[in-house]
Amino acid sequence: MNGLSLGEKLFIQGGIAQDLRSDGRKRLTYRPIYVETGIIPQANGSARVRMGGTDVIASVKAEIGRPSPVQPNKGKVSIYVDCSPTAAPMFEGRGAEELSTEVSVTLQRCLLGGKSGAGAGIDLSSLIVVEGKVCWDLYIDGLVVSSDGNLLDALSAAIKAALSNTGIPRVHVAAEASGEDQPELEISDEEFLQFDTSGVPVIVTLTKVGRHYIVDATSEEESETSSAVSVSINRKGLICGLTKRGGAGLDPSVILDMISVAKHVSEQLMDRLDSEISASTITCSIRQCHMWLGNVFKLLSSPATQIEEGM
Amino acid sequence: MRGLQLPLTQTQKVRLQRALEKLEALLSKANSNASVTVADTIPVNYDDAFLKGHGTTEHNGEVVATVCGVVERVNKLIYVRTLRARYKPEVGDIIVGRVIEVAPKRWRLDINYSQDAVLMLSSINMPDGIQRRRTAEDELNMRSIFEENDVLCAEVRGFQHDGLHLQARSQKYGKLQRGQLLSIPPYIVKRQKQHWHYLEEYGIDLILGCNGFVWVGEHVETKDEMLVDQDKPESQTSKTNDYSMSLESREHTYTPLETRQNICRIANAIRVLSMLGFIVTIEVVMEVVNLGVSQNMDTHEMLGSEFCVLVAEREAERRSQKRTRGN
Repeated sequence: MNGLSLGEKLFIQGGIAQDLRSDGRKRLTYRPIYVETGIIPQANGSARVRMGGTDVIASVKAEIGRPSPVQPNKGKVSIYVDCSPTAAPMFEGRGAEELSTEVSVTLQRCLLGGKSGAGAGIDLSSLIVVEGKVCWDLYIDGLVVSSDGNLLDALSAAIKAALSNTGIPRVHVAAEASGEDQPELEISDEEFLQFDTSGVPVIVTLTKVGRHYIVDATSEEESETSSAVSVSINRKGLICGLTKRGGAGLDPSVILDMISVAKHVSEQLMDRLDSEISASTITCSIRQCHMWLGNVFKLLSSPATQIEEGM
Repeated sequence: MRGLQLPLTQTQKVRLQRALEKLEALLSKANSNASVTVADTIPVNYDDAFLKGHGTTEHNGEVVATVCGVVERVNKLIYVRTLRARYKPEVGDIIVGRVIEVAPKRWRLDINYSQDAVLMLSSINMPDGIQRRRTAEDELNMRSIFEENDVLCAEVRGFQHDGLHLQARSQKYGKLQRGQLLSIPPYIVKRQKQHWHYLEEYGIDLILGCNGFVWVGEHVETKDEMLVDQDKPESQTSKTNDYSMSLESREHTYTPLETRQNICRIANAIRVLSMLGFIVTIEVVMEVVNLGVSQNMDTHEMLGSEFCVLVAEREAERRSQKRTRGN
């Protein structure tokens, strides 16, 4: 993207100062959020989140693995984000590497909790199958399809939606193995366990431009950023993670102010996200219903059944 | 739905589909035989000599379209004018571009075309407004006229040996400030008599660049600009100091809130139209703005799906009315 001219920069700054941004939003208004779940059939859970021009996909893949010897009673979760070169010209080649590592690390810090796995948004002990031997490894992958600012918030929303869409197959331990042997497992194809996502936080990024801060900055507004604070907040209103980007210093009182604003905004965001997730789950199940009905019709109209009827 | 990506509820989806179907029905009556899709046969009189132009190929002895679009015939030449194509400059087009490089005696501009355009120092009116030779000193001071990343308005002059040339030989052309630049698909901007619009009731300048760049900004009196430009040395220094001024003093120079509201409204109206892929003209834009006002929509709500559906319905209604009046 080209830079902005001085006139445009001043216009954006003026808009933020006057509480009317270039697309008519107020400082603390989000762009319309659109959530679609279950878009990748091969994954255990997936979601696509669009906020204006920003478009991200998150998928969750569960695999059987071994828990680490340090924490025998916990499963493993890893988060990785990739920026598609089609999203922006600057992402071509290795241009996106820095950004994807930065975003991945931030998301890991905000969602995965401490080294011991305690306090994570995802309950790691629910991923255990046989203590010390078998657990589920969750691979959460994010893909930035198109970037128009505020990637972190969109990715956290997508991950939350994907996790709420995730079904982990029920595992039946056939034979309890003794000693070092791995137990025999039967993985069910029909029964899925839903995930408890109430503890998964959302990230609210407050971008400081001039003397004011805004949520959901577009890429043009981000180019005017002096510093940005990302706060991840869960349902209970507790802060799970805090990241600051940008070199400019912030007064501690401003940070406290930002946190309280972020907390307030996160409640609205969480409600909106939840309603969007439930709405998209309904359309998803309607789509499945349609597919199922379509298959039934196909079966009914296929020659084999007609012959049977004829007989 | 033409790649329209909106969070629609079921009723909105049905309404939008109905509106689009209505629009399509109106269209197909207009020119059904002239438009082709890929692999459609183009009827040709084989006895006459003809030339295959852009978007056509010969397949099994028939002329076949290789792109979607409208068949155009110029004498012997047969070609397909694509419906969704990159901007192709024509001489005299009013365009909005962004400076990407200051080169010897010229500026290079991004104008949404496959090449960059060239604006020569000799093809602009100097800020003092006098026709005179461009000296070496002028060449050194080029950055004081247009800098990198500046947005400006110019006219397509034509193709020269070294690329596409632009000119800005009038006070109405030149640098655009205090406003926002929108980028929309160029095929929804039709060439018209007038591309500058001064919306008096809003105090806004709207430039619908043929290249799909649209400028919405505060109105600037062309006359005033000349006066300002006459005492150029002072105004230049004050302009460069603008950015380094303290925040407090900069706040006084901000666009007034009411004007800004109007700029945002008009910009969002154009965004909605480009989302739906409707032709952007001043009449349609104003209609969308008025629709937003009459629906008591907040400016940012104009980008929501409900308003989009409303605009589509209104457009279908408008076109069908126009049709009945025409008949």
